[in-house]
Amino acid sequence: MHLNYIVLVALVLAALWTVMTRSLIRAAIGLAATSAILTIIMFRLNSPLAAVFELSVCAGLISVLFVSTISLTQPLTKEEVLAHMKERLGRFWFLPFLVVAIGLILSFIQFKFNLKLPAPEVEKDVRAVLWNLRQLDLLGQIIILITGVFGVVILFRERLRK
Amino acid sequence: MNIKILFLPILLPFLAGILCILGRKQRIFTEGISLIAAAVNLFIAFVLFGKNLNFNLPWLGFGIDVSFRLYHFSAFIILAAAGFGFLVTLYSLFFMRAKEHLGQFYAYLLISLAFINGAVLADNLVVLLFFWEGLLMSLFGMIAIGNKNAFKTATKAFVINGVTDLCMMIGIVLTAHLAGTLTISKINLPLGLGASLAFILLMIGAISKAGSMPFHSWIPDAATDAPLPFMALIPAALEKLLGIYFLARISLDMFQLTHESWLSVLLMTVGVITILLAVMMALVQKDYKRLLSYHAISQVGYMILGIGTAIPVGIIGGLFHMINHAMYKSCLFLTGGSVEKQAGTTNLEKLGGLGIKMPVTLICFVITAASISGVWPFNGFFSKELVYDAALERGLLFYLCAIAGSFFTAASFLKLGHAAFFGKASSENKQVKEAPLGMLVPMIVIAAGCIIFGVFNSLPLKHLIEPILGAKLNGHHFAGMPGNIKLIIISVIVLVAAIVNHIFGVLMKGSGLKALDYIRYAPILSGIYNKAEKRFFDPYEIGLKVVNLVSALSWKIDRGVDWVYEKFSVKTVYALSMQIRNLQNGNYSLYLGLSIVSAALVFLLFFAGL
Amino acid sequence: MSHLLILVPFCCVIILNLPIRKVMRSLAPVAAIVLSLLQVLMVLCFDCHFWQTKFGIIGTFFKFNLVADKLAILMLLCIGIVSFVTAVIGRALIKERKERFDFASLILISLSALNGIVLVRDIFSLYVFLEIAAVISFILIAFKTNILAYEGAFKYIIFSAVASIFLLCGTALLLITSGSTDFSQINASLTAQAFSPSIVLAVGLFLVGLFIKAGVVPFHWWLPDAYSEAPSPVSVYLAGIVTKAVGVYALIRVAVSVFGMHKSICAVFLLLGAITIVAGAIAAITQSDFKRMLSYSSISQVGYIILALGSGTSLGVAAACFHLFNHAIFKSLLFVNAAAVEQQTGTRDMDRVCGLSQRMPVTGLTSVLGSLSCAGIPPLAGFWSKLLIVIALLSTGHFVYAAVAVLASIITLGYFLVMQRKVFFGKISEEFINIKEAGLGIVVPEIILAAITVGVGIFFPVILNRFILPLGG
Repeated sequence: MHLNYIVLVALVLAALWTVMTRSLIRAAIGLAATSAILTIIMFRLNSPLAAVFELSVCAGLISVLFVSTISLTQPLTKEEVLAHMKERLGRFWFLPFLVVAIGLILSFIQFKFNLKLPAPEVEKDVRAVLWNLRQLDLLGQIIILITGVFGVVILFRERLRK
Repeated sequence: MNIKILFLPILLPFLAGILCILGRKQRIFTEGISLIAAAVNLFIAFVLFGKNLNFNLPWLGFGIDVSFRLYHFSAFIILAAAGFGFLVTLYSLFFMRAKEHLGQFYAYLLISLAFINGAVLADNLVVLLFFWEGLLMSLFGMIAIGNKNAFKTATKAFVINGVTDLCMMIGIVLTAHLAGTLTISKINLPLGLGASLAFILLMIGAISKAGSMPFHSWIPDAATDAPLPFMALIPAALEKLLGIYFLARISLDMFQLTHESWLSVLLMTVGVITILLAVMMALVQKDYKRLLSYHAISQVGYMILGIGTAIPVGIIGGLFHMINHAMYKSCLFLTGGSVEKQAGTTNLEKLGGLGIKMPVTLICFVITAASISGVWPFNGFFSKELVYDAALERGLLFYLCAIAGSFFTAASFLKLGHAAFFGKASSENKQVKEAPLGMLVPMIVIAAGCIIFGVFNSLPLKHLIEPILGAKLNGHHFAGMPGNIKLIIISVIVLVAAIVNHIFGVLMKGSGLKALDYIRYAPILSGIYNKAEKRFFDPYEIGLKVVNLVSALSWKIDRGVDWVYEKFSVKTVYALSMQIRNLQNGNYSLYLGLSIVSAALVFLLFFAGL
Repeated sequence: MSHLLILVPFCCVIILNLPIRKVMRSLAPVAAIVLSLLQVLMVLCFDCHFWQTKFGIIGTFFKFNLVADKLAILMLLCIGIVSFVTAVIGRALIKERKERFDFASLILISLSALNGIVLVRDIFSLYVFLEIAAVISFILIAFKTNILAYEGAFKYIIFSAVASIFLLCGTALLLITSGSTDFSQINASLTAQAFSPSIVLAVGLFLVGLFIKAGVVPFHWWLPDAYSEAPSPVSVYLAGIVTKAVGVYALIRVAVSVFGMHKSICAVFLLLGAITIVAGAIAAITQSDFKRMLSYSSISQVGYIILALGSGTSLGVAAACFHLFNHAIFKSLLFVNAAAVEQQTGTRDMDRVCGLSQRMPVTGLTSVLGSLSCAGIPPLAGFWSKLLIVIALLSTGHFVYAAVAVLASIITLGYFLVMQRKVFFGKISEEFINIKEAGLGIVVPEIILAAITVGVGIFFPVILNRFILPLGG
């Protein structure tokens, strides 16, 4: 029980850090951390498959995507960041209202999915799931991480030389 | 007798013609060959005359057999053609002596003879067509070896005859389809709608070959451009014989043409129009040969009128006129040749007073001119009276037109004779002598023939013409003096009127040549004549204009299509391409927006498909 | 055995990155060439059964669900050939040893990624391998590290991310509707239950994701920049095989094995295929950049493959695969030609260069062959695959689409002739009077690819019955 609280608090903290930090790289790392904590929550909620997907997709792939993307960008100065945030506020002030409106509309529409949810796989622990069922994906993720690192090394090295 | 003798009149002149081409350098050789060939051909024609032979050899299948049929009509035509062929060859020996392309000339002459024999003998429509088209080839060649304009004229003749032969070809196909056979002697179609069409198409081929209007316009040009013996032989004699022969065959045998049929009226109309228009043109000509050539057209009108009446007296008259015309017109051309050879020109303005210098030629001219004008007792009188008789029976208008044609014919020959042989001799004509004997003999023979066929008209009528109709005559005979005295009186009045008219004209203008100028320059007629002399009414020229117009139009359409392909489509594609380029402007929001909208559309499409 | 196709290149990269740099740096390009050539030879020598056998201890240790059927074998062959060509010209064109090493390593990783895409039978694994290929593509496009290269890479990243989101959503929906991510199980459950809205949504999302990856109009926006701004060897690789395996092959595989050729899917394929063909071809006409023109041409040719797939018959699928193969060959050839031209003249602007055929005869000749094959001129390979496509369309009654395919072929010929006239024919301009033919490292791949195009075209009757028709299943 206590663990759950700790994990939830950690999740909120990680998410807040992701949002508040001004460095994009740090934000990306924060996102990865958030995903990793979310994986723990999911696993504790008896859905190891979802946990595995969350781990591989968000913590693994998306993070690599972000990192490699950000590595291609030029970091902004503080003034630029402030100006950018102001401009963004001016441009996207309507977004919260839009989200609320869409939420309201969606809540009125009765979606009838004919879902065939897999049974909760209580007995499987995450290692077994990862190794026995998603061995290939694991390999893929290893490759992708190595590739991401490789790319960052190549591109950053070029940047440094310049 | 061996039936293969039927091949002789075709193969012999043909092979002789080939020899002439091969040996074109040796004048004596070619002349000898052609004279001998023409003589032998005449002999064979004599031998064949009066015999009935049928020959059939399966050839290409589909009913296309090599089949020949010799009977009195074809034998008669072959004999006549061989006679003219021999005489003209004899004449040419002297006339053509100094001319170029001698070998070619004799070759074409002999090949024409061969093809005419073949076409006349043919008893199968395809075989007939083969020889008929072959004639086109030799026609082209013969005209083309004339003076420097000749090639153009030859092309004209070729195009006109080619087009009409095409009509005939279609007619043959149609006839064969309707009759179910290609054998001429087995075809006997009633004139239904399809058969009428077939008849008209075949008729176009036949009257075009005979030189009727509106397929005539190459003949006057050929008269001035082509070698003269060609004119005397081909348009004056052989083509008339062949064309009228085929017209008679289709009217008498192949189709059941009766005088109730509208096709009969059509034929008669073509006949009288040809008579009148051509003779009107003949009136105003100032060239010996050109004037004669218009008469050659005009006289065809009488034959077509006669056959078109579709009553026995008319048909007999038409066929009799055919052989008579062949005789006097070729003789007239030969006199023209003598004048050309001796005086060096056929321009009437430069001629005059030749009668004293060339008495034999003058006599031959007078006899044949009287014959063509229908003066008793020459042959033309009798055949014309028969045609008049028939025309009057079918309708007064036809008769009046025919008799008017006769008046103008007489008037123009008075003018021609006066201008060429009488009057004052011009200075250039002082030294002119009579033509050599070799040229005189053919003229004398033919002129004598004109008298014999006139005085003893029962000879040709009973032995040559009447057997063609055979039982259709119901025992009537047309020999001797025509029965209708009123018609004779009218004809005599017309002749007298022509003479009076001539005297009147001479008195008014002071010269024989200008005797008819008052008609030439009559108020309305002068405009028409001016246009006619500029070939405004020449169907060939009109056809050329139409063809030019069509080709210009096609060119425009072609350019248009080309433009669509080359300019329009290319420009459209380029414009579209630039649009797509402009769309690709590097704006991420635009790209993403378009992608999302497209995705939504794909979803819609997907849902719609379910 | 098919495990090895993924594991060996990957292990090779690991070994090459061991800290004995000096040896490895010179070894890496050779390793890439050798491994890709080995793949070609292995694929040519052994049939499907060989690849399904287990290979000793590795086979028991790794429990991958990999299936090598005829279509996969064909793709493995394409991957081998194009990787080989890319490795060879990369070795020739990239001068610096360090860059050469990086490039070879990336080629090796991508070899294992692409082999993975071809062999997997699980949509999530498919997604993972697609993502590897995408990441490698970013790095490769940005390899030159100048601003234009970054722009191209960035565009690709943006669109790839969008595509990934679509694919992931689709995968998730498929997982919750059918309870599995395995191809055959999803297919079974899809055929068992009628197309409910959630399934339609899932299939649609998945398809749109793959459309973006394949560069189908109107999802193609990233493609021209990415292809034309990448370094020449990378252009060859991307256009020749990467986007074809990532987008088009995945589309074929998913459409055939997972979704089945439902008629509404076919309708979407037909429409988008036709739009892609026409828009790509038309856009190619006015391009003056050699590689950009080839990029649009590549879009247009992808349209043909999608269109063939849309006919929904086994012949159509066979024709699509055959055209995929042919396209991999002749488009690689054309990009190699472009690389040669850029290498020798220093420009890709087709308006500047002229009459290069006089100085670069091999490049000129092979580019004519490639162009004609692409435009579908007999007896080259492209003609036969286009013919099969048109026959497949006609036999299913899609006369309008068949007409579009044939007419667009004319535009294709049009822009290739424009290219030939501008670049290779005519009189050579003063500026380039002294240029020479490209080196052996470029000429040899050109000749090999041209020989394959001509050979496949000439021996088409043999190839048709033995290899192509069985592809449709």
